[in-house]
Amino acid sequence: MLSVRDVTTAYQGLVAISNVSIDVNKGEIVCVAGANGAGKSTLLKSIAGAERPRAGSVTFDGNRVDGMAQHLITAKGIAYVPENRRLFPRLSVRDNLRLGSYLYRSEANREEPLDFVFKLFPRLSERLEQRAETLSGGEQQMLAIGRALMTRPRLLMLDEPSQGIMPKLVDEIFQAVKRIRDVGMTVLIVEQRMAECLEIADRAYILQTGRVLMQGTAAEISGNKDVRKAYLGL
Amino acid sequence: MTAETIIQSLASGLLMGLLYGLIAVGLALVFGLMDVVNFAHGEFLMIAMYATFFLFAFFALDPILAAPLVAAALFVFGAVVYLLVVRFAVRAKANTGMVQIFSTFGLAVLMRGVAQYFFTPDYRSIPHSWLGGKTISIAGIYLPQPQLIGGLIAIAAFAGLYFFIHRTDFGRALEATREDAGAVALVGIDKNKVFALGWGLGAALVGLAGAVMAIFFYVFPDVGASFATIAYVTVALGGFGSVFGAFAGGIIVGLVEAITTLILPPSLKTVGIYSVYLLVVFVRPRGLFGSI
Repeated sequence: MLSVRDVTTAYQGLVAISNVSIDVNKGEIVCVAGANGAGKSTLLKSIAGAERPRAGSVTFDGNRVDGMAQHLITAKGIAYVPENRRLFPRLSVRDNLRLGSYLYRSEANREEPLDFVFKLFPRLSERLEQRAETLSGGEQQMLAIGRALMTRPRLLMLDEPSQGIMPKLVDEIFQAVKRIRDVGMTVLIVEQRMAECLEIADRAYILQTGRVLMQGTAAEISGNKDVRKAYLGL
Repeated sequence: MTAETIIQSLASGLLMGLLYGLIAVGLALVFGLMDVVNFAHGEFLMIAMYATFFLFAFFALDPILAAPLVAAALFVFGAVVYLLVVRFAVRAKANTGMVQIFSTFGLAVLMRGVAQYFFTPDYRSIPHSWLGGKTISIAGIYLPQPQLIGGLIAIAAFAGLYFFIHRTDFGRALEATREDAGAVALVGIDKNKVFALGWGLGAALVGLAGAVMAIFFYVFPDVGASFATIAYVTVALGGFGSVFGAFAGGIIVGLVEAITTLILPPSLKTVGIYSVYLLVVFVRPRGLFGSI
């Protein structure tokens, strides 16, 4: 479904990721793990069109998307929830969700994902009139994921969904990711919390200083001796 | 000074204030959307007034009928200015603020020069329009009809704008872009389209004001300058970027101007406005309704 080939992305001459290749198959949850600064966020930005790769290609459902404007990539079916969530802070929860379905014209198409979003995150439905900025960190993450789902994506990309969230809610978010996959979507998730991420993932990649260090099924990665020592603290 | 003269001048001040609000709102809209001050805003008003004048001169179209056409033409003009000038200015790699200022300031100088060349510096006026020179008496107060209709148009325009921003998808996209222009691509919105729409809308509103102003004010290449200055004050009073602050700011400016002319000689009529302005920026720098 998604194929990233030899992508190199640099900021002002500083290479953040170099020659990174990853694949995401339909219906999978793929976890990209790694320490801070390993280039995880840059990888997602390069796929979403928020950063333009300097070299390499990104192919989604057979079409090249690298170099495309970001809003067109969203329209192709890749929804991206960035690290800082980027909600519209002074707009209501309802308006944030409504904006998610901006690409669709028919009312039926626009409302359709809402039921699922409310089923995933019931507390959003209780806070519809509240401004997004008044939500807790966890609720904001739920809203950001909800807004992304409203674009009816085929691939959902999450950047550190657990960041700045109460531990209790972290689990809720990860369980939601599983349910999102179960209704047929594909998920690419970037995380520092590798243990939780590997629990729900089918496959995983480990990035280190901008390169793919290791890849395999979630079981392979979590069973690897070096990984257990270096990343899982076991 | 009788009570009647006071009410009379307050009523005229209110009507003029509504027009000031209508002139200023486009400025506030664009500023709120992308933090860019359009220094050519007065020249937008100027070309709207010329457009109205020529539609009258060549097609005998009354300014009231010309208003929607002028607004539509200015919409296109505003969007084109964004797409051809401002879009590139905001991408400047260095000194972005200065580049923005001088790109629209340069545009203002250019527009005035072109107007002087093609339209000559002569003062033009529309001799006999439907409303020109007519007054209406309401409860003993005489109100000039152009300003009265202009005030009503301003109220209608603000009501329409309110509806547009709060009840339509484009309006919601506009609000979202004001909040975080970098995030709208996440929901598939092209921010350049929204910016162009904002510039078009802002220009259309000043176009509407220009059509009404052409009924009772001389049309000449520099006409925008004094109104633009008042518009900047209006926007700063109401709160930079606040569309409805511009509406309230306009009314305040109109009333203060009217009160000043009651007390001071006419040549000092701007003293009141600028005193209130200084007071507001010292006491409440974000403006009366600003949220920044």
